[in-house]
Amino acid sequence: MRRNTVLQKRIIPKFLLKEGRLVKAVRFHESFREAGNPVTTAKVYDAYGVDELIFLDIEATIRSQQTVTDIIERVSREVFMPFTVGGGVKTHENVNRLLRAGADKISINTAAVEKPGFVREAAQMFGDQCITVAIDYKEVAPGVRRVFTHAGQQETEFEPIEWALRMEEANCGEILLCSIDRDGTMSGYDLDVIERASDRLGVPVIASSGAGSLQHCIEGLNAGASAIAISSMFLFTDHSPIKVRSYLSSKGVPVRASTSSRN
Amino acid sequence: MIAIVDYGMGNVRSVLNAFDYLGHDAVISSDPAVIEDAERIVLPGVGAFGDAIANLRSRGLVEVLHEQVLVKKKPFLGICLGMQLLAKSSTEHGLHEGLGWLDAEVVRFGNGNGSLNGLKIPHMGWNEIVPARDHPLLERLPAKQRSFYFVHSYHIICHDQTDSLASSEYGYKFTVAVHRENIFATQFHPEKSQDNGLQVLQNFVTGAP
Repeated sequence: MRRNTVLQKRIIPKFLLKEGRLVKAVRFHESFREAGNPVTTAKVYDAYGVDELIFLDIEATIRSQQTVTDIIERVSREVFMPFTVGGGVKTHENVNRLLRAGADKISINTAAVEKPGFVREAAQMFGDQCITVAIDYKEVAPGVRRVFTHAGQQETEFEPIEWALRMEEANCGEILLCSIDRDGTMSGYDLDVIERASDRLGVPVIASSGAGSLQHCIEGLNAGASAIAISSMFLFTDHSPIKVRSYLSSKGVPVRASTSSRN
Repeated sequence: MIAIVDYGMGNVRSVLNAFDYLGHDAVISSDPAVIEDAERIVLPGVGAFGDAIANLRSRGLVEVLHEQVLVKKKPFLGICLGMQLLAKSSTEHGLHEGLGWLDAEVVRFGNGNGSLNGLKIPHMGWNEIVPARDHPLLERLPAKQRSFYFVHSYHIICHDQTDSLASSEYGYKFTVAVHRENIFATQFHPEKSQDNGLQVLQNFVTGAP
């Protein structure tokens, strides 16, 4: 067996939360599907030995933030792995509350665009490593991509890679790259953007949106991503994290082999 | 009782949750009286080194930690930033003085003993640790997959190599766990490292002298 003393590539289930339940859509807003209870699902993925979990609150209201905080508190009592939590995070108080509930990293998206300086201040207050900037982007004309905010509803003037570089300059610890065009389609990651972003950024890139097969997973990592976020593929196909991991391992990608024995 | 020191630096709840899960009596506190009462002390922490030291000072915690750990020799576990604070100094955003319990310094990745060769900073994710020797803190871990969760941009350099208990590699080899007398510390997050991490926390409670 190969001995890994290198940093291992991460496999990260990404969960969207709505009214306290997991949901999944196609291209952010089409054909929502119910996908289960977040706490029990988190425990299942803990048993699979995934590397981290991402929870995004897609309602992003004051009430939903309380619900999500409660969910994170409950998950963190029983699941001992890193969580990234986001959705509607706009103030230091939001960041602090989620961190205290058990989150390790906070994903910031719309507020990074709307409040210049917010990412830099949050990184300064809470540590660079716990601020993840999530970038949702869409192709608006052939070959022209723009960052979108407000859960993919509002176009901005920013090109996603240039925006990622600016966020790195503001001391974020990680970039979560989501292609709105591919999200939920299970048609593969946006490899071109992942590759260019990974090449140019000094912080880790999480590839998100589009994984539907084992081949897609290896493509995302080979493009330079430090981690792959997976949602629909885990929720709606028979590809489990164990299968993804053994496939990646068989192809020589360094991944963690351990699984949890507590469940 | 285990006192988990709260000094306003990040996610201390997860550490409490892990001890709760293991069935050990632990509390989060910044009250010197509680820390004096505790049998064991845990100093977690994420964030910037300078802020952390300033927070410990402004809450009057440096003196009580010094007394309980260095004089009364209570078992102590530092985690992540809580390990780095044991050093004499850190170069994170300017030069800062640490607790100085170890003859060690904290430097940014790439300013240590070699080049990072374009590796990403922070060092974020799961990496395997290689114990320097058999030790109660690292007992009962699987032989092959000693992976733990890390997230940090700075790391400790021990000037007394006998303090170094385990290392990992990221561009170059660096210290990820230390031990000196009753002082233990890990750069990785045992409270976020699933079974391996829970085992280390269990070892701290049952195995640490």
